[in-house]
Amino acid sequence: MKVLGLELRLFLAERATWLLLVLFAGTLAYGIANGARVGRAAEDNATTIEKGSFQWHTQVREALERQALDPRQVAGRPSVALLPPAPVPALAVGQSDLLPAHESISLWRLAKPAEARSELENPARLLAGRFDLAFVLVWLLPLFLLAAAYDLCAGDREAGTLRMVLAQGVSPWRWLATRALARGTPVLALALVATLVAGALAEQSGVGTRIALAAAVVLAYGLFWLAVAALVNAFARSAAAAATAAGAVWVGFVLVLPTLLNVVVESLHPSPSRAELVAESRAAAANAEKRGTELVSSFYRDHPELAPPGMQADMTSRMLAVQDEVGRAMDPVQQRFQDAILRQQRVVDLWRFASPAIAAHEALTDLAGTGYWRHRAFQDQVATFKDELHGYYSPKFHKRAPLTKADIATFPRFKFVEEEPSTWASRVATSAFGIALLATLAALLAASRLSARVLTA
Amino acid sequence: MILRVARKEFVDAWRDGRFRLGAALVLVLLVVSGLLARQQVERARTERAAATELERKNWLEQGDKNSHSAGHYGLNVFKDTSPLATFDRGIEPFVGTTVFLEAHRQNQSAFLPAQDATSMRRFGELSAAIALQMLVPLLVVLLAFGSLAGERESGTLRQVLSLGVRPRQLVLGKSLGLATTLAALLLPAGCFAAFLLARSSSADASGMWTRAALLAACYAAYLAVFIAGSVGVSASTRNARTALTILLSLWALNCIVAPRLASDVVHGFLPTPKLAEFDFEMQKDVQEGLDGHDARSKRLEEFTRSTLAEHGKSSVDQLPFNFQGLVMLESERMAGEVFDHHFGNLWDRIQAQDSAVAWCGLAAPMLALRAASMAFAGTDFAHHRHFARAAEDHRRDFVRVLNEDLMNNARPGDHSYTAGRTLWEKLPVFQLEPLSPRDAWASARPGVLALAAWLVASLAFLFFSAGRLRVVSA
Repeated sequence: MKVLGLELRLFLAERATWLLLVLFAGTLAYGIANGARVGRAAEDNATTIEKGSFQWHTQVREALERQALDPRQVAGRPSVALLPPAPVPALAVGQSDLLPAHESISLWRLAKPAEARSELENPARLLAGRFDLAFVLVWLLPLFLLAAAYDLCAGDREAGTLRMVLAQGVSPWRWLATRALARGTPVLALALVATLVAGALAEQSGVGTRIALAAAVVLAYGLFWLAVAALVNAFARSAAAAATAAGAVWVGFVLVLPTLLNVVVESLHPSPSRAELVAESRAAAANAEKRGTELVSSFYRDHPELAPPGMQADMTSRMLAVQDEVGRAMDPVQQRFQDAILRQQRVVDLWRFASPAIAAHEALTDLAGTGYWRHRAFQDQVATFKDELHGYYSPKFHKRAPLTKADIATFPRFKFVEEEPSTWASRVATSAFGIALLATLAALLAASRLSARVLTA
Repeated sequence: MILRVARKEFVDAWRDGRFRLGAALVLVLLVVSGLLARQQVERARTERAAATELERKNWLEQGDKNSHSAGHYGLNVFKDTSPLATFDRGIEPFVGTTVFLEAHRQNQSAFLPAQDATSMRRFGELSAAIALQMLVPLLVVLLAFGSLAGERESGTLRQVLSLGVRPRQLVLGKSLGLATTLAALLLPAGCFAAFLLARSSSADASGMWTRAALLAACYAAYLAVFIAGSVGVSASTRNARTALTILLSLWALNCIVAPRLASDVVHGFLPTPKLAEFDFEMQKDVQEGLDGHDARSKRLEEFTRSTLAEHGKSSVDQLPFNFQGLVMLESERMAGEVFDHHFGNLWDRIQAQDSAVAWCGLAAPMLALRAASMAFAGTDFAHHRHFARAAEDHRRDFVRVLNEDLMNNARPGDHSYTAGRTLWEKLPVFQLEPLSPRDAWASARPGVLALAAWLVASLAFLFFSAGRLRVVSA
């Protein structure tokens, strides 16, 4: 403990240290501000959409309370499915700038491939990614940690002062670990404070677990990189060699491995072609259109309870029957598409421990509520809502029954149900645990390599 | 003398185990990424061709219907991938690949490949361009940081200079040696890439070889900046360790921090409009006109009056053609003006942002190189805009043909009029004329100029640091 305090004082006495810390604090603050701005914009959008949706529902309710309505008057207007703003947007922008957070669902377009429109964005910006807190924590935190701790003993070994230190009778491993902690603590402390600030900026309440887990992830990730610094020092003969090796490890874990994983995933489970999906769905629609009358009569044979008086289908029920047929034809194609992407993400989940950077990034976006799984849940719930919408209107159209006051209670409204906390928490906890395990492995490897003999050889 | 120094440096580099390892890794990454990208691009092309064919069949076999209904039935056109996307995919994963063409509306391209990918996509892509932009500069740093500072530290610099070698000769020789080392590594990879390109399915695309040559020149300039800059820093710093710290920090600023920082800062000054506002303004202008004076209905009334006056008739039923068809032609024309205005503004804004980021390349050369590289590879926004524009022109032609048919062939007031396959066949298949290298140059210019400025500045820095070369640190 005494050594730790001493090392800390030594470290803080250097002017370069303060420069490093000020720079790091600056990038953290900028990252938080950027993420928070994106979060506020999402909040504004959501408010506008919710207001519009609420007004429409009020109008329909009031009208129905006065008189019965023809369902066509109501069904023509698309319902909006909204993914509520992320719980901790300042933590990570994640996929929220790419994947749409709302979808307009029209009864007459249920079978068409969703044409999800995200915000207008410069594609080059999507390519570059945002300068958010997750970027600072996953990409830059290791660089700052390594800059602070890359020379734990390699420089001393080079200069020959290492012998003198070890002659004091300290255990080389404990001395190195203490030094690594002393140099890493100020940087890590800033990172943890930034994580807490991002949590404090959250507009929603009850994000305590998310922030606690985020802090755990950041801590484990930081310790991993300090262990890397120790490992590098256990091998390197000079400070320059230690810096080179540390840089190479960073490039490998943060730059190369994630892109390699991306390539592997896409080669293993290539996404089916969107272009073909679009063209195929049009072919199915044309086919169903031609068989329209036949489709609707066979539908009434199967569902006599829904048949209108005289079994005579009107334009609307014909359109519905055609659409149902397109849906039936396209379901397997759509499913194949969704499955391929799900399989890709499963591979990513499995292999995320290949690099702690991947595990940390996935965990932070998950906690922010801007990751893959929350968007996936939204898409799945939108699909269910489409069925609900269809189930609500279809019998009314076929029987030509009006919408009445009694229908108000069951009027379909999209409401996003968040994932169970235990689901995301266990995903993230696994990530944090995995990173901590990797950190322990690196530290053990460093310890096994370190002995006074090796250090001074 | 310069050549002798260069030769020594070259031999030294290849003897260095770390460099050999790094070089081997970079080479493997380059080849693997090139082959995989080629496979992906070829697959995308095949899929696109299949979809285009199916969509053409859908269109031709849609059956007899009113020609305006055919306009609502619409058709999809699909974006083709540039052959050089195997080298640099640029923004391709982040722009839509499909545009739905229909009456009354200009749609944006939909279905971004990145939306159909995992979150790993956001870590960046493994492409030959990325390897050259980020990893090869690291190799340069690794080779160069000790080139002079290390010799000064170990005392050999004094010996070398005492032999009568001039500092400029030494510094130039070292740089040349590094350049030769890199060339020995990258030229075979380049030849392999050229071989793949020559065999690709669209090797005859216009100006592809000019574009490839321009790309090669840009990357050569970028790496030359790194070589000159790194040797210059090594000549000016006290010891190898300081040189390494400075070079690695500059590398991280250039390759990791700058792209995101520049893009966020530029968007702060030049924001992209919001989707809801964009839609709202466009709808408003479609209804009220760009000048906001006259409502659409009023302008159409005026149009009716002037048409009747022109033909000397008192009612639209007396006109020798279907007036409804003419009205649709006119309203498409009016809406077209509004679309051109709004989409033009949006696309101008995006290009202004891109160009501002490229000028930020004056501070970080990677930004300049990236802009130039995407432009010459045909994967930047200017090229996407070209596609979107061509698709919209195709839409207008197609809707015009349909409305003209309605105007000339349907009797006034006849709602049962239908057209058939003969008319559908009149519509040509969508073909995109590729942008010429000259057009690509227009979009690459800011990046190329910033890169040229860096080249001049880094060479000047190299000469300057050679002039101040000291055998011991001050």
